[in-house]
Amino acid sequence: MKKPANQLPAAVRRKLRRAIYDFHVRAFGEEMARVNHLPLAARRRYIGEMVDHATKMGVKSDKPALGVTP
Amino acid sequence: MPYSYAELEEFYESLVNRARARGIPCAITSGMACVAFGVAGTTKDCDLLCAPDSAGELLALLGETTLGGRLPGYRGNLSAPLDVRWFRGGWTSHFVWAPAESGAYLDVFGVAPRGSSPWEPQIQGFYAGPHTVAEMKRTNRDKDWPFVTALGARMIESGDERGWLHIFDENLLQAFGDATRRAADLCRRRPVLELAGRQDPRLRPALRAEIEYWHELDRVRLGIYERAVRPYRLAVQKARLRPDAGLSDQHDLRVRCAERHLPLNPVRDFGVNRMISEARAALAQTIQPAAMTWLPDVREHFTLLAE
Repeated sequence: MKKPANQLPAAVRRKLRRAIYDFHVRAFGEEMARVNHLPLAARRRYIGEMVDHATKMGVKSDKPALGVTP
Repeated sequence: MPYSYAELEEFYESLVNRARARGIPCAITSGMACVAFGVAGTTKDCDLLCAPDSAGELLALLGETTLGGRLPGYRGNLSAPLDVRWFRGGWTSHFVWAPAESGAYLDVFGVAPRGSSPWEPQIQGFYAGPHTVAEMKRTNRDKDWPFVTALGARMIESGDERGWLHIFDENLLQAFGDATRRAADLCRRRPVLELAGRQDPRLRPALRAEIEYWHELDRVRLGIYERAVRPYRLAVQKARLRPDAGLSDQHDLRVRCAERHLPLNPVRDFGVNRMISEARAALAQTIQPAAMTWLPDVREHFTLLAE
């Protein structure tokens, strides 16, 4: 009988973690996959630096105010 | 000088702390919540869920919350008033702390779009829970979908089986399907899960159909709000306020315009079943009929809105 993911044997969990990491690489690219798997404080710091740099370069990130959220 | 990401994050978190200290249930969601849950997005804007009944209290708090010595104002002519009546109907209120090009943006709403269950009991720290955030990310924007899957994978990994409802990547669904259990109840809510872990060739088109279905639902839903907001937008545009009007005057004006021109709950008026039928009809134009049979019953995602 199959079990929930958090009760699986270590080897199966490792395999699933690999599949998740591969998904992050496919979906977000290698760099962001690495960032997504950093500890929270390091991830926030990385994103902060990225966003601040983009802002300094004139990138606008604000969304239109539509009165409704997509 | 624009505020840094860290400064804005601290500002929004302190706003949540102060709101909760006053008994206002609220939680940060969308991009900033995704970063906390292991999927890095790059937004500086804050989306905030607030219990509809606390809309007035939150407005009072915003009215006294400064950033760099400045008070906030409503943003744009489409922004609904932060008032329980429109809040319950799925409208969003947009705020900005000037200067517009480098200040802080806050979007507030009371009903999580597509939320199938109340968000309040699922809060994790400053944030709405990953289940709520993942449901909210099922938009008509392609870029949001990898976030949904990543949140779902994280939920399954941590033992929350509802994560199965959010995996839209074929390879990952097969990998999870090979190894782990999913409750029968989840397969009833999301029929495509029957195909996971069986190397079934119907899985890919069925997943594609499901994503397109959510796109169509969002397209129809947004269209309903866009049509409903037009007279209100014109009224707000016409009623010119003096440039230095404070939030309270801006709010009173928007309430007056909304009372005359903004329907409280356009989705309920339109009809949830009709909205779903229109989305399915549009989908049927582009998707194989066989793939349509695996679509979920989405009504539970709109019951909170239709109440």
